[in-house]
Order: sequence, then structure tokens, then C-alpha cells
Amino acid sequence: MTLLEIAGLSKAYRGIHAVRNTSFRVEQGTITGLIGPNGSGKTTTIDCITGFQQADAGRIRLEDRDISDLPPQRIARAGLLRTFQTVRIYDDFDLMQNLLAVTAPFADVTGWDMFLRRRRFREAHRQAARRAQEAIDLVGLTRLIDAPAAILSYGQKKLLALAATMMANPKLVILDEPVAGVDPTRVNDIAELLRRINRSGTTFLIVEHNVEFITNLCDHVLVLEQGRLLAEGAPKTIRTDARVLDAYLGRERQAERDSAGLQ
Amino acid sequence: MRVAGLTALALAALAILPLFVHSNYVLSIAISGFIFVVCAAALNLIYGFAGLLSFAQLGFWGIGGYAAAIAVVDGKLGFAASVMFAALLAAVIALVTGFPILRTNRHAFVIVTLTFALLCALVARDWISVTRGPLGIPSLPVPTFFGFAFASPTRFYYLAFAFAVLALGILYALVTSRIGLLLKAIKQNEALARSQGISPMPYKLFAFVLGAALTGMAGGIYVFHLRIVDPTFLDFYYMQTFLIFVVLGGAGSFWGVVIAGALMVALPEALRFTNDLRMVIYGFVLVVAMLVMPRGIAGVFHDRRLNALRAKLA
Amino acid sequence: MEISLTYFLQLTVNGIVLGLLYGLIAVGLALIFGVMEIVNFAHGEIVMVGAFAMMFALPLFALGYWPAALVAMLVTGALGLLLYELLLARIERSEFERSILVTLGISMILLYGMQYLFTATPRLVDTNLGFEGFELGDIRITWIRCVAAFAALAAFVALGLILRFTQFGLAMRAIAQNRDAALMIGIKPRQVARNGVMVATALCGLAGAALAPIQSVQPAMGQALIFKAFALTVIGGLGHMGGALVVAIMLGLIESWSAAFTDAVWQEASVFIVMIVIVLVRPEGLFGGKRVRLG
Repeated sequence: MTLLEIAGLSKAYRGIHAVRNTSFRVEQGTITGLIGPNGSGKTTTIDCITGFQQADAGRIRLEDRDISDLPPQRIARAGLLRTFQTVRIYDDFDLMQNLLAVTAPFADVTGWDMFLRRRRFREAHRQAARRAQEAIDLVGLTRLIDAPAAILSYGQKKLLALAATMMANPKLVILDEPVAGVDPTRVNDIAELLRRINRSGTTFLIVEHNVEFITNLCDHVLVLEQGRLLAEGAPKTIRTDARVLDAYLGRERQAERDSAGLQ
Repeated sequence: MRVAGLTALALAALAILPLFVHSNYVLSIAISGFIFVVCAAALNLIYGFAGLLSFAQLGFWGIGGYAAAIAVVDGKLGFAASVMFAALLAAVIALVTGFPILRTNRHAFVIVTLTFALLCALVARDWISVTRGPLGIPSLPVPTFFGFAFASPTRFYYLAFAFAVLALGILYALVTSRIGLLLKAIKQNEALARSQGISPMPYKLFAFVLGAALTGMAGGIYVFHLRIVDPTFLDFYYMQTFLIFVVLGGAGSFWGVVIAGALMVALPEALRFTNDLRMVIYGFVLVVAMLVMPRGIAGVFHDRRLNALRAKLA
Repeated sequence: MEISLTYFLQLTVNGIVLGLLYGLIAVGLALIFGVMEIVNFAHGEIVMVGAFAMMFALPLFALGYWPAALVAMLVTGALGLLLYELLLARIERSEFERSILVTLGISMILLYGMQYLFTATPRLVDTNLGFEGFELGDIRITWIRCVAAFAALAAFVALGLILRFTQFGLAMRAIAQNRDAALMIGIKPRQVARNGVMVATALCGLAGAALAPIQSVQPAMGQALIFKAFALTVIGGLGHMGGALVVAIMLGLIESWSAAFTDAVWQEASVFIVMIVIVLVRPEGLFGGKRVRLG
């Protein structure tokens, strides 16, 4: 079953086409990878999907709902959560507060319920706290649950951001570079963690630079180049696809040569 | 628990203060203190929690003051009804203006709210048929509530005290509720908050309107203390006073602001500075606080705790 | 109402002079915003300090206008340097609210400090130009207004030349237009910011010196001016100096005309209403293109 369907997505900034007429699907229950060289339109694509950018053209459907014109908060409430490339968390909150900020567990609670601490709020809060405890246990930050998030390391912050998405019981989570800047020895742990969350029913769309991480983890891989979908398929076929090797790896090698030449 | 105990102690001390202090001067300072701390706490809701540096508070203060005075003099309303009218009018104006203002970016927000406050001052001065212009509305009646006249400074002290306790109580309940948490989340990282399903606008608008209502109400009560309202009621001095309490206490810290307010009212008075010299000191405090401890007294404690934790974990 | 042409022209001349002086203040404000992204709340108080400096310097030069005005510019320029090195340089560009609170604190210190020292009483200032004037057809122009206009125009020409032709001016414009590109080609932002602040505060000094004999000198004079200057820079497009100047002259004319012909009561308020509408409709101002980012 198709969970997310992108049809004809286009976005340009001042005449530069970041994404051009791109269409793809994310199937329910999969871990789908989205790779591509720098500037291929990956981040623009997910910003458009999650409502942080307004697409120039194209439709986006989550299950059978058109989410193309919704603002980010409504998309989140529809069950599509995301993380950010440069990690975003609430530095002034402790870990528990970071997770309790997510609205999903409080969907039926009104402002008055919150202000007067009515029963409906207390119920929701109790359940949310339990869920937050589980999410923090899952990502292995239990020891720090009452600590201010500001003291976390970069990798720990990424784990916290991931745990926050778990609060919403999401249909789909989009991760923007979950292992960039993370200690290489921890990358496999994160892959294992994502597999575990996936097995319990969460679908992932993961944007990454780390091709090895993606091809090891994903069921299905999408390759973007210059704003277009260049190829898609199983990791094995992608790894041997001539166009991908040419466009993606060729460019990387070119870039390596360039930077080596500069030094 | 310790906070509850200290609060109870402070409340008890303030409740019996007029039994020992008979100086009208001191009582008058205390009355101003109560009113200003409420305004600072309301500004703290908007700036400290919602992250919006709003100079419009001065406008709402003036709107409240004029609304109450006009309601009681021209409208022949009672004291309580006038003050409620002041709060309501400030809230309605905040609601109508808040939506377009809150859609701008933070540079524009500061400039527009500042201009709004200036406009209020100009309206007070120029809309002579309603506000009496530069002369203002003098000799306001003694406030009476259910037949009880708050005629003496001591009685007015208890009125201001009760208002402060009520208003601060509401604000405390609010900022410690989930609404306070969400406001702080929006302030810290609006994009993240939106990605987690939080709609910023209703919360910001709510903070803006409630802050306006409480400030308007405070202004409405304060004119009965002054017994006159004129365009100097919209002097920038009031805004500077509210701001200094918030900045010194630490934007976003309820207790920090209340304590800073109490200190800043009491200290310069105790030292018997003239008004000008007090404002110079406020200015110095503002500059130094912004350079040395940009998050106020509360921020200093917060940073200490963070460093201690980091040391422990390292 | 019968309006004689002479009277109208008289008001126009007065309006232009006033507009040019507003322009000095607004352009400085725009300059500081351009190089530092700081909205300087102390700007009006620096004008006031300039006016006081003029007042105190005049007797030293036997009421000589030009040397005293130069002293005023030096005093405010030095004050600007001091404020920059002590305070403004420590503020990051992203800390917009912090910069506002710091400059607000400076303005409080200057305003209430001067009030403490010299009381709030307005003082009249006399120069060697006296209150004499000359006739141009039927229009009478006092020398102090004429000289004020001349000084302002000279300052604008000088500023224009500096911005266009000197290394320092180019660097300043580069920073205001595209900060990242400017940093990449090796422009030192601190140096540019310091120079920008000094130039802007010197312009304030000139404005204060020119205003001193026209109006009266009092500590609160800056407050009345600064809010107008805010409106002008916003309407002109934050950080856009030419826009600020054009709007300033328009404001001078409107104030001068409306004071005579219309019910002047709502004229001041209307400036601020126009400003609010512009900010809500076009946050970057009337003249501000994409040249200065607003955040």
C-alpha cells in the first residue's frame, strides 16, 4: 500500500530549479532512502512535503489525504513527522519536556483543560509521560531524562529528535541526515534502532549522504539528481546502476579531485 | 515546597505591612510596586515566554488608564465595571491588532509595537473631545467596591495587593501549565514546534491578548491611585520600568521577574534617589544586565546548574 | 481658506530645512542598521548630546557657528566610538532584541543623566548668526535655517562621496548589501561597523548642532525626534539611506504645510499610521528592495 505519494513536484528559487517535476512513492512499512549529490534537491523535496516550503507545482498525498497545501503543524498532526538536518531540539527543556511538547498525545485536550489541569489533561499527560519514558529508553538516553537538553552531545541530540517523533505515533517519519556528524562507531547502532522502530510499524523516509548507511538499511532507494528522480529500486540494483554511479559517484570523485587540487 | 513556603511568607509580610508602616509615601511606593510587577509579569508572558519584544504594552497600559477614567467620569460606571471595561477594551484592541502584527518578522514586530504605543500617546494628546487632550481627566472619584470606599492609602494598598495576587496567580498558573511549555517551545524553536504539530499563532495571540488585558486592567487601577489621567500616563518611562524588571529578573522566569520587580521598586526608594537618578540607574542596570547576564538573574542560576551537570557527566 | 503663494513658499522652505535635519538623523539610523542590523534606540539622545555640545561650545568660540558645530560632531562621533567599543561590538548580529535593550539602556542613561545634571528646562541658544535673515523675493529665510540646510546638504554630499569613492565607503555598502559576500572578499566587519557608527553619530551631532538654535535645547528633545526617525527609516526601507532621506524631506514638508493649513492635530499620528500600514503590507519598506535582509 502506498503511504506517501508525490506527483509532479516542482520548486524553483529565483529561477533556479531545485526540484523539477519529481514523482515517487513511499510504501507502507518500508524504510525508503533518498540519496543524491549535494544540491540535488533532497532537502527542498522534504521541506515541500512537510509544508516548510510551498511547492510551485505538484500534489502530495499521505494515505488518501491531500496534504499539499497544509501548513507544517497540520501535516504533523496528520501523522507525518520529521527531523532537521542541523539538529533541532529545545535546548532549555529537559529531555522529558522535549518529548512532552509534541502535541499528538494531547490532541483532544483544550486550552482550558490545560490551564485548569482538568482530568482530560491529566489523563493525556500521564499517558504522554509514559510514552516519553519508553521513547527515551528506546534511544538509550534514560540516564539523562531529567537533564537539560543543552548538555547533550550532537549525536545524543539527534537521538532525542528521533525519540520526539515517536511521541506522535507517526504514520511516516522523514529523517534529514540522521547520521551526519554522528560518531562513526554509533552509525550501526542507529541503523539497528531504526530497523527496530520500523518493525513495530513506523515507515521511514531517510535522506542521507552516507550511501553505505542507506543501502544497508533501506528496502527501497530513490536517487535524485539536479532536482529530478534519476533512478529508484532495491539497494542492490541502485548500487550497480550505471547512471547512478556515473552521476552520483562520478561527481563525488570530481569533487574529491577538486578539493584535493585546492589543497 | 520551598517556593510555596517562601511565597506564603512574603504574602503574609505584605499583608501585615500597613499595620507597621503608616507613611503614605511608603504605601504609595508599594502600590506602584504591585501594579508595575503585574505589568512586568504580563510583559514577561509576551517577551519571556512567547519571545515577542512588545512595546505595545505601554499602549495597553494607556488604553486601560484612559478607558477606566472615561468610563467612570463620562460613562458613570462604578469602579469595578470601569476597570473591567479597561481590561476588555485593551484585550479587544490587542485581538484586532495582534493578528496582523504577529504575522510580521521580529524586526518589524518591535518597530510596529513601538509605533502602536506612540500612536496611543498621540491619540491621548490629540483626540481632545474624548481624552480632554493635554490637560487630561483630573479628580477621578475614590474607588468604591460594593459600597466600600478605598479612600485611604492603606485601603488602596490592599486593593492593589489583592489585584497583584490575583493577576500574578493567574499568570503563574498559566506559565506553569502546558500552555507555558508550548509558548516556550515556540520561542525556542518555532520551526521545530510547528514540525511537532504546534500552531504558533493561537498561542502567541493568546499571550498577546491576555498580556494586554492584564496591563490594561493594571493601568485602569493605577489611574485611581493617581486620581488623574493625562498624556504623561503614556510616558516611555513606564515601559522602561516594566522592561527593566523583566530583563533583570530574566525573561521567561516567573519568579525572577517578580523578585527583580520587588528589588527594583524597593532599592532606589530606600536610597532616596530622585526620579531622574533612579532612571539612570535603571539604564545602567539594563546595559550591564544585557552584557553580563543576558538572561537575567534566573539565567545566571540556570547556567550554573548546566555547568555543574556538564562537569558531573564529563 | 485663502493661501498666498508667498506664505506657501515660505512654509516650503522651512519644511525642506526641517526635512534635511530629519534626514541627517534618519540616514544615520539607516546606516547603523545597514552595517550592524541594530536599531539604535539611543540615536535621539545622541542628537540631544550634540545640541548640548553646541550650546556649551558656542561661548568658547565667541558664538561662532561653524567651530561649535564641528565640536558637536566631534563630541558625538567620539561618543559613538566609545559606545561601539564598549557595548555594541559585543552584540552578535542575531541578537536583535538584545541590541534593542542595550541601546534603550544607553538612551535612558543619557536622557535621565542629562535631566539630572541640567534639569528638563528648555534653553534657547544664540549664535553669531543671531536671528537675522535675508529676503528672497517675498520669502524671508533666517541665516540659521539657511546654514542648517547648507550644513546638512554638505554632509549628504560628503557622505555620498565617501560611500561611492572611498575604500571605507565601498566596504560599508558591501556589508549592507550582501554581508556574506563582503566577508568572503576580506572586508573586516568590525572596522566597518565602528566607522559606520562613528559617521552616523557625527551626523547626529551635526543635526543636534543645527537644531539647537532653531528649536530649544532640552534633554527630552531626542525622544521626540527618534520616533519620527524610526518611522522614516522604516518607511524608507530599513538600512536604505537614500530612501530615508527622501521620506525625511517629505515629512518636513508635510509637517510644515499641515501646521499652517490643516487641523494639525492628527498630522503627527498620521505619519505613524502610514508607517504601521507600510510595515504590515511591505515589511521591507517603500524603497527597500532585496538589498537588506530583514531576517
